[in-house]
Amino acid sequence: MNDIIIYKNAIKNSMHYALEKNKNSIIYGIGVTDYIGIFGTTEGLEQEFGSDRVFDTPISEDAMTGFAVGASLGGLYPIHIHIRADFLLLTMNQLINSAAKYRYTYGGLFQTPMLIRAVIGRSWGQGAQHSQSLQSLFAHIPGLTVIMPSSAEAAEKCYKYAVMHYKNPVISFEHRLLYDYKFNKNSSLIDQNNPFDSYLVEEGNDITIVASSIMVQEAIKASDYISKYENISIEIIDINSVSHPNQTLILNSIRKTGKLIVADTSWLSHGLGAEISRMILETDVTLLKKPMKNLGMAQATCPTAKKLEYEFYPNLKDLVVSIYDLHFGTLKGKKIPSEEEIVYQYKYFKGPF
Amino acid sequence: MQLYEKLFYEALKIRLLEEKIIEVYPEDKVESPVHLSIGQEHHIVSIMEPLTNKDIVFTTYRSHAVYLAKGGDLKLMLAELYGKQSGISKGKSGSMHLCSPEHGMMGSSAIVGAIYSHSIGMAYAQKIDTSTNNITLCITGEGATEEGVFCETLNFASLKQLPIIYIIENNGLAINIPIEVRQSYTIEKLAKAYNIEYHSYEDSFDMLTINNKFSKLVTDMKKSPRPIIIEIHTYRYLEHVGISMDYDKGYRTLNEYEAWYKRDPLVLNETLIKRYKNKIIKDIDDAINFAENSPSSFKDELLTDVY
Ligand SMILES: Cc1ncc(C[n+]2csc(CCOP(=O)(O)OP(=O)(O)O)c2C)c(N)n1
Repeated sequence: MNDIIIYKNAIKNSMHYALEKNKNSIIYGIGVTDYIGIFGTTEGLEQEFGSDRVFDTPISEDAMTGFAVGASLGGLYPIHIHIRADFLLLTMNQLINSAAKYRYTYGGLFQTPMLIRAVIGRSWGQGAQHSQSLQSLFAHIPGLTVIMPSSAEAAEKCYKYAVMHYKNPVISFEHRLLYDYKFNKNSSLIDQNNPFDSYLVEEGNDITIVASSIMVQEAIKASDYISKYENISIEIIDINSVSHPNQTLILNSIRKTGKLIVADTSWLSHGLGAEISRMILETDVTLLKKPMKNLGMAQATCPTAKKLEYEFYPNLKDLVVSIYDLHFGTLKGKKIPSEEEIVYQYKYFKGPF
Repeated sequence: MQLYEKLFYEALKIRLLEEKIIEVYPEDKVESPVHLSIGQEHHIVSIMEPLTNKDIVFTTYRSHAVYLAKGGDLKLMLAELYGKQSGISKGKSGSMHLCSPEHGMMGSSAIVGAIYSHSIGMAYAQKIDTSTNNITLCITGEGATEEGVFCETLNFASLKQLPIIYIIENNGLAINIPIEVRQSYTIEKLAKAYNIEYHSYEDSFDMLTINNKFSKLVTDMKKSPRPIIIEIHTYRYLEHVGISMDYDKGYRTLNEYEAWYKRDPLVLNETLIKRYKNKIIKDIDDAINFAENSPSSFKDELLTDVY
């Protein structure tokens, strides 16, 4: 039992570490000091570190983002938290026109290090405005670093690193469903010195899966599932930093397997799959032996009805089917996950947030 | 029916519906977040009463009361909450985004503050259409006024003398954070700064007084269009989202709740409750049956209306 850590506790550790080790750090946002404490990740921090350093804000996301720019210029390290990533859309002006550009525009005279944490809602009727995965929107902008920690280890190491060493604005998307996921405490897949880097989660020879956020966990599940019935060797890469992916790692893997699945939490068009296609096509058009598979949300606004929501998101079955298709070219006689196996985690999640 | 009884009936309908939702929620048929209106029904029916279907209302995720009071249909609403094809928006919107265009209720937004600017746009359209004298209501909590866009729209509404009424439901809370932690201003003084007429309704339970004052205001406003802010002091009985009480969480006290509850006409007026409860319950049960027996949203809805 001692070897287990859940995602939210890893984040909480990193927040505590931030306040303890970086005396300039401050943590704020809507709900940071309430009894829910951003799903437990900021619980008790105000009591321990005081309300100058840990505080709730008015509902003024735009202003509080410009505030981060100013505070950062003034020597603080702001950690600004949003319980839904959708609220980042109110902060785009400050993030893109100021935070992303401050260092470059002034010829390197300034820097604006900060960490923006934003939660992607999924499942249980979060609907149009509480469920969006906006990583590609931000990753498009030079000057922003966008990460999507998919595990307790990734979250804790990335945040500790950001807070102590990284001098650029970081936007991190945390997936709501990951918060209660259990992870091995001793996992060491991440490079301490470069924790935002993409990394190998599982090594394999037949198929490459490049995944982000919770889709990394789904890919691991798909690989486990298939290993019970078939002998397919799957390589899983966690993109980790969407804005600064490790191209060499990804292309070498595709060179080895010739078969690629990209599994992202967001819409497909102009997304992660498109970006990886760009990498491939600009490097070597012969890398793929088969057309790639792209998994992500349907090209629609997230519907609330369960039935539609279920169709909207990619799931374990989509992954398994894609893997069979790439490997065998057929699904005939292949074992496919049952409804229960697919929806288990989504069923058990009951919000309310 | 006398006016008071009519208002009472409408408010009771909302109360009983919300209570029904609480009852069925654990069965997991409403698989989405609900922001219940319990405690905040009274003033909503009072201010919806004098409006026509051409008078437009925008509101937030806490939209059940407004939907019903503006004329929305129980069956369509429950089917929507149940994720059914027969719902208002075919199951795509759920509780947070209720609307009823034929009654003048535009889309409810789950983004705090988003509707302020929609509302001034609508009011502008109403203003330049000189053939009518319709008005717009924009209903938000007091927390939403912390978004910068609130002030930006006050300025514009005042500059252009738009026919808009901002209803600020002051329940003292934004999620679990009390107003003292969030606000350094009063709405009254803000209104003054922007040269906007301000009214405060101190007791949201006083349906008749509110209805009376508000109706006069609407009549007057239709003659001389202008922006108005009305702050209504009210109280949220339940947690921000979900169906539970949360007085054990330490951010507010049970005493506070009891002080309101003890005065609540929807609890005290046994005569009227007795007179109407059974009929309303029957309507609600019919609506629940309708929702349960309707087919789930059709699969091809997923990619319908995308453009
Ligand atoms: C832009 C944005 N920021 C934050 C939230 C999260 N949020 C949802 S409701 C709410 C509180 C709003 O309080 P208030 O306006 O007083 O309305 P009430 O819920 O009390 O009716 C917050 C902060 C949101 N939905 N949208």
